[in-house]
Amino acid sequence: MSTRSEARAAKKNAPAPGYDPAVDPLLEIKDLQVGFRTSKKDVVPAVRGASLTVYPGQTVAIVGESGSGKSTTAHAVIDLLPGRGEVTGGEILFQGRDVSKARKDDIVAMRGSSIGLVPQDPMSNLNPLWKVGFQIKEALEANGVAKGKEADRRVVELLEEAGLPDAERRAQQYPHEFSGGMRQRALIAMGLAARPKLLIADEPTSALDVTVQKQILDHLEMLTGELGVAVLLITHDLGLAAERADHLVVMYKGKVVESGPALDILQHPEHPYTQRLVSKAPSLASQRLSARVEREEVKAQAVQTAGEIAAELEAEPEVVGDVTRDDVITVQNLTKVFKLRGKRPGQKIDFTAVDDVSFSLRRGTTTAIVGESGSGKSTVARMVLDLLEPTSGTVLFDGVDVRTLKGKDQLRLRRQMQPVFQNPYASLDPLYSVYQSIEEPLRTHGIGSKKEREARVRDLLDKVSLPTSVMPRFPSELSGGQRQRVAIARALALQPEVVICDEAVSALDVLVQAQILELLNELQAELGLSYLFITHDLAVVRQIADDVIVMEKGKAVEQASVDEVFSNPTQAYTRKLLDAIPGGSIELGR
Amino acid sequence: MWWYVGKRLLQTIPVILGATFIIYALVFLRPGDPIAGLFGEKPVNEGVKEQIEAQYNLDKPFLVQWLLFLKGAVTLDFGNSYTGRPVIDLVSQAFPVTITLALMALAIEMVLGIVAGTIAGLRRGGLFDSTMLVTSLIVIAVPIFVFGFVLQLIFGVKLGWVDPTVGGDWSVSKLILPAFVLGLVSFAYVLRLTRTSVAENLSTDHVRTARAKGLTQRQVVKNHVLRNSLIPVVTFLGVDLGALMAGAVVTESIFNIPGVGNLAYNAIKRGENPTVVSVVTIMVLVYVLASLLVDLLYAWLDPRIRYA
Repeated sequence: MSTRSEARAAKKNAPAPGYDPAVDPLLEIKDLQVGFRTSKKDVVPAVRGASLTVYPGQTVAIVGESGSGKSTTAHAVIDLLPGRGEVTGGEILFQGRDVSKARKDDIVAMRGSSIGLVPQDPMSNLNPLWKVGFQIKEALEANGVAKGKEADRRVVELLEEAGLPDAERRAQQYPHEFSGGMRQRALIAMGLAARPKLLIADEPTSALDVTVQKQILDHLEMLTGELGVAVLLITHDLGLAAERADHLVVMYKGKVVESGPALDILQHPEHPYTQRLVSKAPSLASQRLSARVEREEVKAQAVQTAGEIAAELEAEPEVVGDVTRDDVITVQNLTKVFKLRGKRPGQKIDFTAVDDVSFSLRRGTTTAIVGESGSGKSTVARMVLDLLEPTSGTVLFDGVDVRTLKGKDQLRLRRQMQPVFQNPYASLDPLYSVYQSIEEPLRTHGIGSKKEREARVRDLLDKVSLPTSVMPRFPSELSGGQRQRVAIARALALQPEVVICDEAVSALDVLVQAQILELLNELQAELGLSYLFITHDLAVVRQIADDVIVMEKGKAVEQASVDEVFSNPTQAYTRKLLDAIPGGSIELGR
Repeated sequence: MWWYVGKRLLQTIPVILGATFIIYALVFLRPGDPIAGLFGEKPVNEGVKEQIEAQYNLDKPFLVQWLLFLKGAVTLDFGNSYTGRPVIDLVSQAFPVTITLALMALAIEMVLGIVAGTIAGLRRGGLFDSTMLVTSLIVIAVPIFVFGFVLQLIFGVKLGWVDPTVGGDWSVSKLILPAFVLGLVSFAYVLRLTRTSVAENLSTDHVRTARAKGLTQRQVVKNHVLRNSLIPVVTFLGVDLGALMAGAVVTESIFNIPGVGNLAYNAIKRGENPTVVSVVTIMVLVYVLASLLVDLLYAWLDPRIRYA
């Protein structure tokens, strides 16, 4: 870049006259209104009067659920509102200049060099067609920081600074060769490349495993601290926000409902929404003893109901296996080896995804399998469901090896064991109405007449606390939490003994997470269900599980009751998972 | 990658075998006696007929005919046409014209289609976009020979800017108008495909991230929208090269171009098995190679696709 254009860029980035960085805020949002235009006349409001201030070097967190307008507010600051979004009122003052009224090229000059962005989903935010190094280099060149060979060198430094080992080689790789955590580090390097004064971090870690999340946030905190960069952190997790930010802004339905010092809000929440957040967020709730007491009650009731149901079932002639056994599922020495394609054609490499795992699920209780992605926990679930053939080892359901069942008996097994998957957006057929989705398993197994099936669907919707008016609606018309309720209703349609929840709450907002966990607990007590609960997040485990299996690299490294795991973990890996729960170190008011 | 290319080239062998077999079977099943056609109205001497039949292997069973053809084809001997000229001569005269025509058409549709499609995609809902959508719809709806005759009349006859027909001594400049006509329909498809793809890519997360880095609109479009949008377009263009060569039959007859289309059309009329099968075999080969090229281009455009 020539010196003239550099000078021009510098002028565009200059603070407003009379702006004093020592006393004035870096960013000041006053009564911001943002709407999405649906036609020439109609604007649907998304942000309705938001105000906040960020001082140089300060970390401010905006907390709220999806749809609260927190991301919209952040995007308005760097004029990257999606589609037809526009600022309809208020002011966004960055160094005293109003961004919302600035010229287009002034904003382009400001992006990257004055305000950086670390986006939400590391999977979709890097261009898959360019090398990672090139994409960071672009940021350097566009902002006139460095160019050519010098920029290449700087890219490697930036990646190292973001905590990526072997940065020189990594810079020459494509995004698909990176893991999620590595991509997020690359995005952090990109956001900080031109040394902005303000970094907007939009849910920077919600798509990552808890342990990776902690590493990344620790690193981001250290970096921004060293560089003196102010951070506007957007998150739905109050525990995480309180741990990372000095100042909290709680948004609800497009408005700021509460703001103040982090600890203050956590200990004395005033707005009812904040109060609910504080009492329900799993990361915070998991520390409370009350959660354990409630869980014990649920378990006692569930075990009793399960026993009664088992006694009834025993009388039925077509039941497979021995339903009176204490262990509904017994897994013995389960191993799965995948054959991967090697470097040379025809070459095969063995990859052991699950390595000699044994455990049992007691009737009416919940066993949680915890581990990072790649630990083999979902592979275990698929083998238990008899959807994947184990390399060796057996899965016994009511004492019967699931692999030996054929035809009618296998169908019968499918009825007794139902899954709920992570992503309710993907696991429901978008072309099936809610009614069709829930009714389908009943129809497949030829249960009841049309009338009876309809009655059953109504009953199931009632059980998962959804109104029957959702029956004709399609998944795209429901929220994430509602969809997961539908998925649970579908799983319960066949009155299974066991429900296998594979990351069933991981894709949901904290409050919705809490509601779904509550629902699962209620259903367990009422129907005597046994759960196999798979998750990467130990925080939710405490509210739902009785026994925990911690998996690392295909092996079960620790197996114990929940209380033992939380109070007395024996493995370093388990401690790492526990430490990663956000907000764990915070003293709560109650 | 060379392993992959080798594997793909080996796959062409069964494709060629199957294609020639089907073509041979179709021509064989065609009613009528080619030798009677050769003599027109005149009566045919039985002895001469038998001699000609022996010369062209017409007296042998179908399967033997096919195998004999394959045997010759290995040494590039495709037999003779019924007028006595070696088929290889006919084909090697006609193919360069058609290949040139098809490549010119491909270049025209590619450049115009991608440029217009990108502009339309970037300004979706604007005047240019609407005009292009209507234009492309008209182009797709109207049959190709209508455009052929109308443009021939306007530019060739009324305005006299170009020669209305090409004839035996063809040149690249004479082929411009026919190539334009040939590429017209595909241009409309390329335009629409590019437009949708660009519009879709504009709203992706990584484009927003690119903007957040401080890139200008031009840099964003060049590096992060266009290249990502080209993947579906490249697929279409690769398959289209084969379609263009087949579609050349109509265009070649309108502009009297001595290409493969004309050759194949006349050979089919006369029931000349060796010529028909040879032409189709080479077309199949072009198709197969074009799709191989597309797959390799894919890997170049998208690093996530790597062939082992």
